[in-house]
Amino acid sequence: MELNLYLLLALLIALLVIGWLLAKLHRVRGQLSLIKDALTDIKNGNLNRRVLARESDLTKQICYDINEIAMSSQSRLIQQKQSEQAYKRLMTSLSHDVKTPLASLVGYLEAVESKMVTGAEQEEYIRVAMEKAHYLKDFVTALFEWVKLDAGEQIFHFEVCDLNELSRDIMADWVPLLESHDLTYEIEIPETEYMTRVDPTAYTRILNNLLQNILTHSGARQVTLTVTETEQQAKIMVADNGKGISDADLPHIFERMYQCDRSRSVRGNGLGLSIAKELVNAHKGTITADSIPEAGTTFTIILPKAL
Amino acid sequence: MSDYLIETKQLTKTYGDQAAVKDVNLHVKKGRIYGLLGRNGAGKTTIMKMILGLTSITSGEVDVFGQNIKGHEKRIYPRIGAIIETPGFYPNLTGTENLEIFARLRGTAAPNAVKNALKVVGLPYKDKKLFSKYSLGMKQRLGIANAILHDPELLILDEPTNGLDPIGIAEMRDFIKHLSAERGKTILISSHILSEISLLADDIGIIDHGTLLVENTMKVLEKKNRKYILLRISDMPKAMLILEQEFHVTNFDMYDGHTLCIYDTSLDMGAVNKALVMHDVSVISSQLCNDTLEDYFKRITGGEGIA
Repeated sequence: MELNLYLLLALLIALLVIGWLLAKLHRVRGQLSLIKDALTDIKNGNLNRRVLARESDLTKQICYDINEIAMSSQSRLIQQKQSEQAYKRLMTSLSHDVKTPLASLVGYLEAVESKMVTGAEQEEYIRVAMEKAHYLKDFVTALFEWVKLDAGEQIFHFEVCDLNELSRDIMADWVPLLESHDLTYEIEIPETEYMTRVDPTAYTRILNNLLQNILTHSGARQVTLTVTETEQQAKIMVADNGKGISDADLPHIFERMYQCDRSRSVRGNGLGLSIAKELVNAHKGTITADSIPEAGTTFTIILPKAL
Repeated sequence: MSDYLIETKQLTKTYGDQAAVKDVNLHVKKGRIYGLLGRNGAGKTTIMKMILGLTSITSGEVDVFGQNIKGHEKRIYPRIGAIIETPGFYPNLTGTENLEIFARLRGTAAPNAVKNALKVVGLPYKDKKLFSKYSLGMKQRLGIANAILHDPELLILDEPTNGLDPIGIAEMRDFIKHLSAERGKTILISSHILSEISLLADDIGIIDHGTLLVENTMKVLEKKNRKYILLRISDMPKAMLILEQEFHVTNFDMYDGHTLCIYDTSLDMGAVNKALVMHDVSVISSQLCNDTLEDYFKRITGGEGIA
């Protein structure tokens, strides 16, 4: 009698355990089917898909791992898309800077060709058209340069050369231009030799961009270039006594497409300084700007000496 | 599979003989923020409730993730996060305890889901404060935490800024933008405040008296919102020359040979017209366009306006 009771109890317990196991199995089967669906979805590109798991699920860790893989691919993909979008935004804002001057240039030339204007007016039209053509040419050149730098495709040709000699050569080209714009200039470059590794083309571009900036935007009457050198580094300072840059604008001037003058009464391309910065970076140097509004701006480039 | 995460077809809800929602065809695209804009009682909440199966559908269909919701509820709803009106939380439990219940019911996508969700909305984890003691803003935040607890692909948010102070509203806006931009979530959001939606949405649907009046991308609608002066003149190059030389305006686009769009609306148009006519450029028309989105909505809703 007693034995039967025990047997019955054991059977009951065994049945309960089997029931519990069956329930568990059912849950796991359900989860597996969910996982299968989710994996198909993820495989088809829906990286937002998640598999939900409860604390007690046997498949919990598998689900969490699948989610983590999907999530990290998703964030990589989004990063990629964002840089693509930034590029697109750049192209859109650029198209305005190319399209309208080009249209207006065509307009001027058409007017001249159809003899709508004559004499002094005709010459004025040709002069304006020329100006616009030059602007476009410079803009497109700068744009290509910037894109190359930004994509890291620019190839530098570093060579050991005399920085002082190089600086003098660059300034020699600028002197007539400065004079024709009624700018006085002060150039202080040591007479000694200073051998360091630079890319001469890039270095020329840096100085050209800074000087061009002064010419186009600053309204300065005087330009100063000072080169000082130590055993470790060369310091090149380009200063003007123009209208300066406001405190609000100063932190942004090296950003691409940033233009202080929002009315754009003077056309620049917003690329010159960011190109200069990229080029200085390529030399492992730094470029900074200090400015006092209405008193002038000083750009300071520091290039480490390298042989 | 279609590109729409939510698509409704002739969705209709009637109470007695009163139609709350009439033949609504909504198209929510993947990865975008869709703003449902309408006055109080226009039918926004009813549409969301029908999508979520919280109220019966009188006629029409709802597809979510490319599947008709009928018969697929168990597969679809775990992939959606939602706040509709005030979410149902237990008043005698803390925020953390409330979320832990939901986490156990639905399952989660990662360990520590409750802690992370609370951190994201800026509520303390394991705080002793009971839900009944929460402020309206905190309740709303907890609602959001609950909606994102299982990292869903699709979020349906009914007036999520209701009851928030201005700083809270700005935070919520940034948060929703972040979910869309950094996490790739698709979001359907409703509001009766035009400025709110226009700052947030990529696509917009305007609903009035239960009918979807307009569905369009924000980009298209924003074009109606730009301030500019439209000038139709006889001689384009001459006009450009005058604008550039005499008024120092360069921020313009040319539409066609006779239409010029000037983005500087502070320009003294009387003086411009006079100067153009003096130079033998006949001005066919000059028109200041500063239509706002508000004006547009007033027009399409039959004069009653939205916000």
